[in-house]
Amino acid sequence: MRGFGELEAVVMHRVWAHDGPVTVRDIFDELREERPIAYTTVMSTMDNLHRKGWLARERDGKAYRYTAVASREEYSARLMGEALAAAGDTEAVLSHFVAAMDGDQSAALRAALEKIAGRPS
Amino acid sequence: MITALALFGYAAAAAGCAPALLAPLTSRGVSARLGLAAWLAAMASAGASAAFGAYLVIATAVANWAPFTAALCRSVAGDACTPQVYRSELYEGGVTALAVVVVLAAAAALWRYGRRVQRAQRQTRAHAETALLAGRALADQVPAGHAQGRRAGTVVLDDPRPAAYCVAGRPAAIVVTSGALALLGGPQLAAVLAHERAHLAGRHHLLATVTRGLTAAFPGVPLFARGAAEIARLSEMAADDAAVRVEGCPALVTALLAIATGAPVPGSGFAELLPGHGGSGHEAVPAAGLAATACAVPARVERLLDPPGRSAVAVSRLALAALSVLLLLLPAALAVLPS
Repeated sequence: MRGFGELEAVVMHRVWAHDGPVTVRDIFDELREERPIAYTTVMSTMDNLHRKGWLARERDGKAYRYTAVASREEYSARLMGEALAAAGDTEAVLSHFVAAMDGDQSAALRAALEKIAGRPS
Repeated sequence: MITALALFGYAAAAAGCAPALLAPLTSRGVSARLGLAAWLAAMASAGASAAFGAYLVIATAVANWAPFTAALCRSVAGDACTPQVYRSELYEGGVTALAVVVVLAAAAALWRYGRRVQRAQRQTRAHAETALLAGRALADQVPAGHAQGRRAGTVVLDDPRPAAYCVAGRPAAIVVTSGALALLGGPQLAAVLAHERAHLAGRHHLLATVTRGLTAAFPGVPLFARGAAEIARLSEMAADDAAVRVEGCPALVTALLAIATGAPVPGSGFAELLPGHGGSGHEAVPAAGLAATACAVPARVERLLDPPGRSAVAVSRLALAALSVLLLLLPAALAVLPS
């Protein structure tokens, strides 16, 4: 499962690296230079990505031509919007390393910093 | 019926008293993991007692409807309750209507809980999947020496705001923004990742999902609302403790301060390695607008810098363990003994 998700990421990054539409053959040729991989694996991965809504495709003769539905930056912005949203916007359970601070907390933090600075290290 | 009433009484008492008992014991997070266990035990104890009490009432009502309505009538009206009253159609109809209302209320609570949990799980998994696909693998972003970062599932998102978080999924993802990466040195990054991995390993997202679901299902119960907040706070502290065990206290504290204030750890940071983050002229962008569920940084830093003594830890552990056992045994005893 993990391995398959990783391949999806690899394929998406390849598609984003292209300016225009790509075929399974384009991606397969690129990946083959780095790792042993079957054409059908790349094809089913791209088919999956299409089914999940990451890739759009158009028939061109016998083959499909794939394009990314949104750019990587757009996905990043969407994720950060969800992650940094004020409470209530999203119900995704994210465990943040650091939570937001109000004025009192910032003051307490500065006090703690002075405490460290005052310590012989 | 006596057992059911005893269970309801216990559930009400536990919901009322447990926060007052537990809050002072867990406020400083002296033993965060036992604190988590104690809050969970309190919520489970009160919830399970009420649920089992309700089950007993329903079972009695279904099995012996006529004696049940008679007993109900006498328990409310006493001697004024004559057979003419409790065998009347009007009274029977009233009890039936009451039962329907209670069942509908329970179904509504269950539905609210299920909807909340299901939505949270769907959005959480979608977020993790998108992060893993759209993020850059951390392994490609930091030098090979920082082996801790070279793990599957850890991705970097390009954003100047410093943030780091984990999100459960199949598989789970740990997300670090390029803004955070620019502030941290190798040891600090390792501490951040250890903290987030501790959240995932401890299944803290499940605790958050269940406790938030309970709060959504029973909005008026203070034990659930307080418990959800305390469990979020203690989860942070438990993850801090895990990070300290692996990476040491200085790395974690400096990482917390760097991300909270937006000022880089002096003499370190992966700033020069990142696109759009020149090594010089870095502007401090403090962490802002993050979800308010996690606990405050100053309290965490204070706690890490000024750990309690051994005797205080021992006393706190003993008290929390004893309280947890009591919370779990009492309702079990009530359920078994009188009958």
